[in-house]
Amino acid sequence: MSTMTDVDLSLDQLLDRPWVTVVWDDPVNLMTYVTYVFIKLFEFTPEHAHELMMQVHNEGRAAVTTGSREEMERDVQRLHEHGLWATLQRDDKM
Amino acid sequence: MGDGFALDLTLDEAHILINLVEQLLELLGDSNFEHHYSNDDPLAQLMGLGAEVPTPEDPVLLRLLPNAYADPEASADFRRYTEPTLRRHKSEVLRSIRTELALIVDEIGADQLSNGGRVEELDGDIWLVALNDLRLALSVRLNIEADSFDTFELLPDEDPQKAVYAVYFWLGWLQENLLAAMIS
Repeated sequence: MSTMTDVDLSLDQLLDRPWVTVVWDDPVNLMTYVTYVFIKLFEFTPEHAHELMMQVHNEGRAAVTTGSREEMERDVQRLHEHGLWATLQRDDKM
Repeated sequence: MGDGFALDLTLDEAHILINLVEQLLELLGDSNFEHHYSNDDPLAQLMGLGAEVPTPEDPVLLRLLPNAYADPEASADFRRYTEPTLRRHKSEVLRSIRTELALIVDEIGADQLSNGGRVEELDGDIWLVALNDLRLALSVRLNIEADSFDTFELLPDEDPQKAVYAVYFWLGWLQENLLAAMIS
C-alpha cells in the first residue's frame, strides 16, 4: 500500500541518490597494499577491506564508499594520494 | 627496534632510489634541489626524463594525478581545485624519503670501506606511498600488464628494458616486505 507522501519521499530519494567512490583494478598496485590503504583510509575491518580488494581484482572495480558528492571527492583525493586509481559517480551507474 | 622500521641498502640501491625519487620530483614540477644524478647517468634514463620539460600530457603524470570523473568537464573542474594539493602531497612524500636517502648516500660516500647503509626509524606509511608512486611511474614507462613478469623474464640480459624491469620488480619486493613488517 502506498500514499502520496510515500511516493514523494521515494522520488526525493531518487533525485538525491548518493554518489559512490569506485576503485579500478590495475596491474601494478599490490593486493596487500590495496587492502592496507582501504583499512588506513576508511577504517574498514581487515575482512571487509580484503573482500573489496578481491572484488576490484576479480571484477575490475568495486564501489568502496557511498555518500555526498563532497565526501566522495575527498575519498577520491585521498585514494589518489595513495596511488590507487579511483573515480566518483552517481550510484545508479554501477 | 622501536616503532619504526629499518631498511638496509647497498650504495647501488641507495643511488637507484634517490635517482628515481629526484626524477619523479622533477616530473611533478619540483626541481629545486641539487640532483644526485646527471643527464648522462644511465640511471637518468630509467624514467625517460633527461632535460625534458614535464607536460600534463605525460602518461606518468596522468597515472599519478588521474581523472576523478568519467566526464571530462567534471574531471577538469575537480583537477583545477585539487591537483595542486595532490601534486604538493606527492612532492612532500618524495622529499621526505629523499632526505633520508641523501644521508645514506653521503654517509657511504664518506666511508671508503663501507658498501652499504641503513635507513633507521623510517616512517612506514610515507615509504609505502613513495615506493608505490615510483612503481606506478616505472610501470607506465614499461607498459606493465598483468602478465609482464613472463614477458620481461624472456628478454635477453642486454636489453635495457630488462634492467628497468629489474628495478621495478625490486621496488615491489621492498614495498611488500615493508608492508609485511608493518602488519605483523
